[in-house]
Amino acid sequence: MFLHYIDLSWRSMKRTPLVSMLMILAIAVGIGITMTSLSVYHMMSMDPIPHKSDKLFSVQLNTTDDGNNWWTEDDVPLQLTYKDAMALHNADTPERKTASVRALFTVQMDDKEVKPFLASTRVTGRDFFPIFDLEFVYGDAWTSEQEASATPVVVLDEETNDRLFAGENSVGKQVYLDDTAFRIVGVIKQWRIHTKYYDLNNGAFNSPESIFMPITLIAPLEIQNMGNTNGWKYEEINTFQERLQSEMFWLQFWVELNTPEELKNYSDYLQAYLSEQGTKGRFERKTPQFNLKDVNEWMQYNKVVSADNKVLVGLSFLFLAVCLANILGLLLGKFLRRAPEVGVRRALGASKRQIFIQHLVEVSMLGLLGGVIGIAIAQLGLWGVRFTSNEYASLATMDIKMLLAAPAIAISACILAGIYPAWLVCRTQPAIYLKTQ
Amino acid sequence: MLSMKNISKVYQTEKVQTHALRDFNLNVDEGEFIAVTGPSGSGKTTFLNIAGMLEPFTGGDFMLDDVNVGTLSDNQRADLRNQKIGFIFQGFNLIPDLNLYENIEVPLRYRGIKSAERKRRIEECLEKVGLASRAKHLPQQLSGGQQQRVAIARALAGKPRFLLADEPTGNLDSLMARQVMELLEEINREGSTIIMVTHDSELARRAPRNIQVVDGQLADFTLYQNKAMDEIAAKAGQPAIEA
Repeated sequence: MFLHYIDLSWRSMKRTPLVSMLMILAIAVGIGITMTSLSVYHMMSMDPIPHKSDKLFSVQLNTTDDGNNWWTEDDVPLQLTYKDAMALHNADTPERKTASVRALFTVQMDDKEVKPFLASTRVTGRDFFPIFDLEFVYGDAWTSEQEASATPVVVLDEETNDRLFAGENSVGKQVYLDDTAFRIVGVIKQWRIHTKYYDLNNGAFNSPESIFMPITLIAPLEIQNMGNTNGWKYEEINTFQERLQSEMFWLQFWVELNTPEELKNYSDYLQAYLSEQGTKGRFERKTPQFNLKDVNEWMQYNKVVSADNKVLVGLSFLFLAVCLANILGLLLGKFLRRAPEVGVRRALGASKRQIFIQHLVEVSMLGLLGGVIGIAIAQLGLWGVRFTSNEYASLATMDIKMLLAAPAIAISACILAGIYPAWLVCRTQPAIYLKTQ
Repeated sequence: MLSMKNISKVYQTEKVQTHALRDFNLNVDEGEFIAVTGPSGSGKTTFLNIAGMLEPFTGGDFMLDDVNVGTLSDNQRADLRNQKIGFIFQGFNLIPDLNLYENIEVPLRYRGIKSAERKRRIEECLEKVGLASRAKHLPQQLSGGQQQRVAIARALAGKPRFLLADEPTGNLDSLMARQVMELLEEINREGSTIIMVTHDSELARRAPRNIQVVDGQLADFTLYQNKAMDEIAAKAGQPAIEA
C-alpha cells in the first residue's frame, strides 16, 4: 500500500505541477538556509575527539590574589605561568600530561631551491602525541632523554614533510628553524581537526601547528610564544629569565585521566601543589582554586560556539517555520480541492486512517524533494560562507550527518505542516461530495 | 439482510432542525431489486447514504447482515462498507487521474486483496461491462454510458452483497440509460441485491419492488400509523407501489 501511496502522490504532484513546485521550492529554500547555519553550528560544536573527550582535561590554576577578577565565568585564568606549567609537566605523577605553547619559526633548508617560510610550531612535551592520538607516518616522538636534555629535534606534519622532502622519509634529516639546526625525529599523519580545542587562544578554528619541538627548548632558545600573555600584577621584566619566573600566564596544560580514581588523585595533587605555592607567598588566596575541564566542558567554558551562532540557527529555523506556514496554506488549498475524490475513496472503503496516511506520504515526498534541493542550496550557502572572513569560514562544510539530516528535517517539517490539512481532508464526509461531483 | 427500524436523520443548523428521515422502516431481503422513488428533497439520497454507511443516522436501529451499524466506529463502518457494499453514483465519480483498470482497483486495494486476484477480478468485471479493451483508457476518454459501466464494474469488483445506485441513469440519454438498466437487471439475476434511487418512473417500474419516500418516510407509512410499533416494523419495507 505504501508504494501505491507513493504512486498516488507522484500523480498528484503531476496534476498540480505549479503548486507542487512552489511547495518544493519553499521547503528547499527553508531547508537550504537552515542547513547552512546548522552545518556551521554542527561543525563548531562537534566533539573533536569523541572517543576520549571525557578523558582529556585542561588544567587551570588560580595563582592570583583573592578578589582578582578575570574574564572567565569563575575568575580562573585560562593559561598557566611557565613555572607552574613546567612544575606540572615535570611532576613525577603517572598520567600522560604536557604543557604546550604556540610559537612561530622561519623554516629554512640547506637546499636553496626551498624558499624559507613561516611555520606555526607547537612547543610541547612528548606526551602531546599520544594524548591527542597523533599517528606517525615516519619515526616517532622525541625520547624522554632528548626532551630532558633540550635536544634540538622536531616532528613535522605530513604537509610540511611533503613540502620540504617531497613526502619521503625525512627522519634523521636536518631543518633550520630560525637559525638553529633541528634534526627530524618523526613525521605525523596530517592532523585534521575542526576545532583547535587544545589551544583556543588565537582562534578556535585555526589549523593545528605543522611543527612540534620539545618544551624544554623554551629556556635555552628563548622562544617567544605566539598567543595570549596575561598578567595580573605589576612585575619588572627585563630578561627572558625574568619572564620565565614571572606570574604571567602564557602556556596551556593538558592531562589524560582515564578513570575517576585518576581524576581524583590528580585533583588532590593539584590541591596540594596550589597549597604549597600559596605558602611560598606567590599569591594570597584562602582556598586553592583550580579547574580540570574535559574537552567539551573546555569548549563550552571558552564559548567556542558563540551566542550569535545560536541566534543565527534560531533565526534560520524561524525562517523555515515561515516557509512551512506558506506550505501549510498551499497544502490546505490543494487537499481540500481534492475532497470530492476523497469522498469517493471513503465511499469505496478507505478508512480515515488510510486517507490520512496517503496525504502524509504525499507531504513526505514533497519534503524529500525539497530536502534534496535544499542540500544544493545549503552547499551554495556554505560556499558563500567559505568566502567570508569569518574565523569559522573553514568550517562551512556539510558532513554526512548533516547530509542525512537535511532530508530528515525537511520530511519532518513537511509532515508537521501537512498534519492539519491531512487531518482535515480525512474527516471529509463522503456523502457531501458524491452527489455534487 | 438489511433492516432499518425507526431510523431518523436530523440536520441541525443554529436555528433550524431539518428532519430528512423520520421513523423510516425497511427490510430488504437477499436478491431483491428495489427502486426508490419520491420527489426531490424527500430523503431518498439520505436513505441511500445511511444504507451505505456514508453518513450517520440520528436515531433508530440499522442492522446489516446481523451487524448493528449504530455501534460501529468510523473505521469499522469503512471496513464493512468496503466488504459488503458497492456504490453506483449519478455522476459516476470515477477518479480522473486513474485509468479504468486503476479505478476499478481502488476498492480492492483498500480491502487488501493481492495483486493477482485484483487483476483477475478487474478483468472479469471489465469483460462483464463490455470494456475489456479499454482498460488503459482514462475516464474522460469514454462516453457517459461507458463511464457508468466502469462505475458498475468498480462496484461489482468487490463482490458486494448490496449494490446501492443513486440515480445511475440520471446523466445518461435514454439509450444509454436502458443499457445500464439492463446491466443492473442482469447483475440482479445473478444474485446481487440492488437498491436504486431514481426519478425515472419507467425505470422504477422495471424493478420488481418499488418504494416511495415522501417527507422522509415511506409513502405507505400512514397505513400503519395506528398499529403497534412492532407491527410497523414488521410491515416496514412493504412496497408502496407495486410494479
